[in-house]
Amino acid sequence: MNQTPDVPVLAVDDIHKKYASGTYALRGVSMRVRPGSVHGLLGSNGAGKSTLIKIVCGAQSSTSGRLEWNGSEVDWSTPSHALEAGLAAVHQHTPLVDTLTVLDNVFLGARDGARWDVGARREELTALCDRIGYHLDGDELVSELSVGGRQMVAIIQALAKEPKVLLLDEPTAALSSHERDVLFAVVRRLREQGTSFVYVSHFLDEVMALTDHLTVLRDGLVVLDCPTDETDTETLVTAVVGERLARIEDSAPAADRPVGDVLLDVRDLASSAGFGPVSLQVRAGEVVGIAGLLGSGRSELLQAIFGADPRAKGAVSVAGSRPVGNTPKKRIRAGLALVPEDRNRQGLLPEWEIWRNESLPYLGAVSWRGLVPRLSAERRTADRSVRDLAIKTGSIDTQVNQLSGGNAQKVVFGKWLYGSAKVLLLDEPTAGVDVGAKADILQLVRQQAADGRGVLLVTSELEELRSVCDRVLVLRRGQLVAELVSAETDLHQITAHASGLQVQPVGQG
Amino acid sequence: MSTSSATATPSVSAATLLGRRFSVRSAGVVYALVLLVVLITIASSAQGRSGYLSSVNISNILDQTALVGILAIFMTVVLITGNFDLSVASTAALSGTIALELIDDTGPLVAIIAAVLAGAVVGLVNAVLVQKLGVNAFIVTLGTLTAVRGIVQVILDGQSITATDTSLLTLATKRWVLPTWLGIVIAVALLGYVGWRIVKSSDRARTAAESSVLLLSGLAVLLVASLRPGLLDQTLPTWLMLALALATGAVLRYTVVGRNLYAVGGNPEAARLSGISVDRYKMGAFVLNGGVAGLVGVLYAGRFNSVDPTVLNGAELTVIAAAVLGGTSLFGGSGFVGKSVVGALILFTLSNGFNVLNIGANYQNVVQGGVLVAAAALYTVTNQNDRKSFRERFGKRAGTPSSTQPPVPAVEKQKEPVG
Repeated sequence: MNQTPDVPVLAVDDIHKKYASGTYALRGVSMRVRPGSVHGLLGSNGAGKSTLIKIVCGAQSSTSGRLEWNGSEVDWSTPSHALEAGLAAVHQHTPLVDTLTVLDNVFLGARDGARWDVGARREELTALCDRIGYHLDGDELVSELSVGGRQMVAIIQALAKEPKVLLLDEPTAALSSHERDVLFAVVRRLREQGTSFVYVSHFLDEVMALTDHLTVLRDGLVVLDCPTDETDTETLVTAVVGERLARIEDSAPAADRPVGDVLLDVRDLASSAGFGPVSLQVRAGEVVGIAGLLGSGRSELLQAIFGADPRAKGAVSVAGSRPVGNTPKKRIRAGLALVPEDRNRQGLLPEWEIWRNESLPYLGAVSWRGLVPRLSAERRTADRSVRDLAIKTGSIDTQVNQLSGGNAQKVVFGKWLYGSAKVLLLDEPTAGVDVGAKADILQLVRQQAADGRGVLLVTSELEELRSVCDRVLVLRRGQLVAELVSAETDLHQITAHASGLQVQPVGQG
Repeated sequence: MSTSSATATPSVSAATLLGRRFSVRSAGVVYALVLLVVLITIASSAQGRSGYLSSVNISNILDQTALVGILAIFMTVVLITGNFDLSVASTAALSGTIALELIDDTGPLVAIIAAVLAGAVVGLVNAVLVQKLGVNAFIVTLGTLTAVRGIVQVILDGQSITATDTSLLTLATKRWVLPTWLGIVIAVALLGYVGWRIVKSSDRARTAAESSVLLLSGLAVLLVASLRPGLLDQTLPTWLMLALALATGAVLRYTVVGRNLYAVGGNPEAARLSGISVDRYKMGAFVLNGGVAGLVGVLYAGRFNSVDPTVLNGAELTVIAAAVLGGTSLFGGSGFVGKSVVGALILFTLSNGFNVLNIGANYQNVVQGGVLVAAAALYTVTNQNDRKSFRERFGKRAGTPSSTQPPVPAVEKQKEPVG
């Protein structure tokens, strides 16, 4: 590359970004990506990472600040400007055309010449594959590829545009460990060849292993910016997570919190959706966590307990009842509540107001004769939820699709808290939620338990498991492989069980 | 009760509510109808025909609209649940045929019941195929539309039939006059009830804004009863349409069932996980639609006391057009039956207007098609604008307001391979 090593190939200088809704996403962020390096970008959701990425890729403009390419200021108002300059991005949910082949997808939109020269394209594809050391079959349909394969196609698609900087946004979130190794090898190889990378990830171990320099964002500011070998995991964790969550982590639950009767009794629950047979119990006042890797069947288990999986077989009893029928309606009536994984697709009606969403599960209970909803009662409950859950909104009439992730998640909670639920089933309750709301939600979970409910919590955030749960059940390939007492275990042990490194019978912590 | 400062969050102000209710997006279809009537009145006066706004002509328009209007009401319900029903017209044709075939042998009551049941059965077939088998509603009802029309043709074998028993004729064409005093009583009762609600509420301006449509309706009835009592003389189908519009509208707006119907169409998965029996509601909408189509078929047959194999051919498109004009989303989750009826009124006012103004019938379809596309375009455009202006109004303006929303965090699902 004909570049002075000191001139960063990509730089942002004092970038501010305020949205029309008032959200102040970036409060003066500066970052310099050196040529031929892998630059890590870290930060939890709500830190401003995605906003910065959009600005750098040309998908959005900043409110103020400079964007520089090879030392000169540029003004990219559309992604194609960035592409022409030499910055290509591979986002997490890459839009590939499922019905076309790998070859078609890699060269999607390439416009050199009117003829589609298959031979020349194939050679190009082979050359690209050689370059990265990973081979794809050009004739395979994208719809038949694994997630990792699709990721590779997306990367090659970006590489086909000969970028000088390649931005990878959470590339490994859905990859197997083998595919991840392949990706790392590709990145390293390309780095030797002079390509620069912006590697966005929340996997600290990956960032430590792969990057040369890193930047950590929190609440719209840069809290750490240094060469990778000058820092360590502990410093990174503190930088990313901040003090608040660390405080919750410190106040791990006391070993003997009072628990009451069995509220949820699951016997031999199994489903072709991917788990079973599983048996577990949750008592009043208890928060039971479920840990497991991607694909271990955690979400499927919760859905089956809730009655949302028609294929499930087994017995679910609530508060000593006889086994309850396998529909959400019956299980809700028995006392179960589910905060689902995907709040937009499963938890909310996006165009409805806050109060209308919140009253939905128990609408009959606030209705005259169970038939005509009492608006004043619905609104009162919604007001209460906004106060109790610290939902940041102008009014309870706001449509939930106008709320941020954390606040929308709180609305989903608000659906279930004021009814007759005895057991709360929570599926990744803090996913996609900013740090402040995350802490609020975790406090809420502990409070619910303290109020006498039982909580069954699925989360990938192991820190949460340890700090909020009394017991942790580990699921691996659909089976319960371990039951650990939270106060007597640590992240390493949980991880070990989940990945099958220490297979011990359930009950032995 | 406490003032709004004691509640945690201020609700949307009365003025905003009022603005939204009467905006072009919400009430545009009503404004369009009014505009249309004004234009035709002017045009017909200019041509020397002054009888356009007479009670007789208005009654004619209402009567012509009634059957399609009733179909539009329940088509809206099906659309709200996120489904589509192209088979209504064929179902009506089938029911009308069955009614006329049976009535001479079994008498009107059995004939009508059989006809409505037949409609419900067609609705059930639609329901099972769409909901239990999972076939796309458009395709299923396209199939039933064709098959049921075929059944009609099989039964009629190319002939048109009639019946000696004229009960259906009476049913479809009999007029009933709402006594003026009753009209006034109803209007006063309605206004009184709304007034009581307003006085009783904690936020009077807001409740008044929320009840604005009811208030206006009460006023309208009062005016009609006192100034134009001739308009209280309508055919049975017209009264049926009005009654069904009111009842269905009330159920949709004020009851748990109504709320659930909107939920089922707005996000069936979220509705399911909130404990709503999605299948039951979606299937119920089809069966109800079928049954009502059956009733409409009976009334249609009663118009001339005869049916022929082509009866109601293509009417399903008019029904859907009415629903679309009324702003019903074809994706489910929204729609108002009252506005769909207004949509139907627009279509029939247009055709009636064409007759009054002596414009060739050939131009009708062109104009109707154009109106439909224009309305749909208007709804789409104002939808996007509404969102943007809402954000700009309610957010602080800092620097350059972004034209897009704050980004949804890139990683919604944090599924880490542990370790």
